[in-house]
Amino acid sequence: MKCDWVKENVLLYVYNELPDDARYELEQHLARCTDCAAELKTTRKFHAVLSELQVEEPSPNLVASSRMRLQEALETTSQGGFWQRLVFDPVMWLRQMRFSPALSAAIFIIGFASGMGATYKIVSNGGAGAISVSQFSAPAESSVAGIQSISQEPGSNQISIKYDTVSTQQAQGSLNDQRIQQLLLYAARNNYNSGVRMDSVDLLTQQPNGMHVREALIYALRYDSNPGVRLKALGGLGAYVKSDPRVRDAVLEGLMNDSNPGVRTEALHLLEPVRADGSVRATLQKLAESDQNQYIKTQARNMLAQMPEFD
Amino acid sequence: MPAEALAVPFTVGGCSQRERDSRGEAGRTQDPRQRGHMAGQSQGRIDDTVLVREAQRGNRAAFEELVRHYDQAVLRLAIHLTGSEHEAQDIYQEAFLKAYKSVANFRFECSFYTWIYRIVTNLCLDHLRRKQVRKEDAPVATDASGEQYDVLEQVPDGRAGANPERDLMSRELGGRISRALDRLTPRERMVFELKHYHGLKLRTVGEVLNTTEETAKNTLFRATQKLRGALADMR
Repeated sequence: MKCDWVKENVLLYVYNELPDDARYELEQHLARCTDCAAELKTTRKFHAVLSELQVEEPSPNLVASSRMRLQEALETTSQGGFWQRLVFDPVMWLRQMRFSPALSAAIFIIGFASGMGATYKIVSNGGAGAISVSQFSAPAESSVAGIQSISQEPGSNQISIKYDTVSTQQAQGSLNDQRIQQLLLYAARNNYNSGVRMDSVDLLTQQPNGMHVREALIYALRYDSNPGVRLKALGGLGAYVKSDPRVRDAVLEGLMNDSNPGVRTEALHLLEPVRADGSVRATLQKLAESDQNQYIKTQARNMLAQMPEFD
Repeated sequence: MPAEALAVPFTVGGCSQRERDSRGEAGRTQDPRQRGHMAGQSQGRIDDTVLVREAQRGNRAAFEELVRHYDQAVLRLAIHLTGSEHEAQDIYQEAFLKAYKSVANFRFECSFYTWIYRIVTNLCLDHLRRKQVRKEDAPVATDASGEQYDVLEQVPDGRAGANPERDLMSRELGGRISRALDRLTPRERMVFELKHYHGLKLRTVGEVLNTTEETAKNTLFRATQKLRGALADMR
């Protein structure tokens, strides 16, 4: 054992602050080391010298007068009341949070559970799949994680859509049901599964009267990555090329820019009834002059040739 | 006289097992009177908790009972630190009024004993700091050994509150120790005071001063080194 260690700890030894094992080791060392034994002697002597300054007991008179003085003061002093506690407590609460992991964990768990409960409520209000669709209020898109599948029963207008919320649910209803339409719109825009998008767009084309449905079809035509979905959307929009300029513009855009020749060809055919329209005519001229797709180029020329000449 | 013999066990409770274990060397002594004290402590601890709860409900009598449990120990500490009964009484008054006003906020995270000691030691530290600032402007003289001392401290305290026993004590020895203690920083002084003169365990000292046992230990080492230096010729 090192004498340095003993010299560092001899004070704690004198004050009875050494753990038992260290105390034992130190005593063993002191028994055979005269230097350290002398150090202990000096420390003890010094300890005794300092103790010469005695701690005086307060006299009974002092204690009594102090108590009386305090009692008088207490009579005119009010305890920190409820409001004062509220004022001071936020700091105390923070300290308690800091020193009380259990309390912090409990608050966190309550918060998490409340959040989950609220989400569950929203979802269940949004409609559990098996419940009659008429009970559904507007679907909360945030609660729909994704559309699993869409199917139409043969020979009926009943559509089944499976979609994910917290757990997968199923909604049933006719195409006229608002909830079904909204799920289809959601599926057409957001679903990661192109098959589901295809089904939803296909079904939406049966009801393209609503503005939301038409917008969803235009969106699918412009932005869907799957040519089949774009083609379906085009099919649904065909009837509105004449009456709705937005549909016409979308179809023209598809004709000009779509990467898929099938989609472009279909767009070209759809525009035939409105070939006299200025924008359609300009587009056809452009295509007839320089389109890389020979079929499109020829068709555009044919369409222009069938048009009456304007002065 | 060794400090252990001086350490009077606090006859109050309401503290944790850890605190009870670390309360002071007094618990280790074989003095039958002290053993009696310790035996009576468990009942005292239960009473303490009940009294604190009652005091929190606004029961002033319960608070006064708590005061009676602690006030002698508080006065003893304050007198030794300030050297004046008058100043000790002021600290006593301020500490218990403070405790009364905020007892409603006491959350039993520590014992009431630790809590009240925390209030008292904070007030004492403030007192020591003020005293240190005043001392910088005080007239200083040099004694025979070449050591500087405060002239005003040598003037006998003639006030009614002054303890005559203090005057009777060997002036040279007691005076030199007092001056050496006064030269410690307030925190060193407080740690040394609680450890050496009041026999608290270092762990309890740490709790009372809102620090760790290790820091209290280091502060005690520093204080002892300084005192050894100041009182080298007395060893």
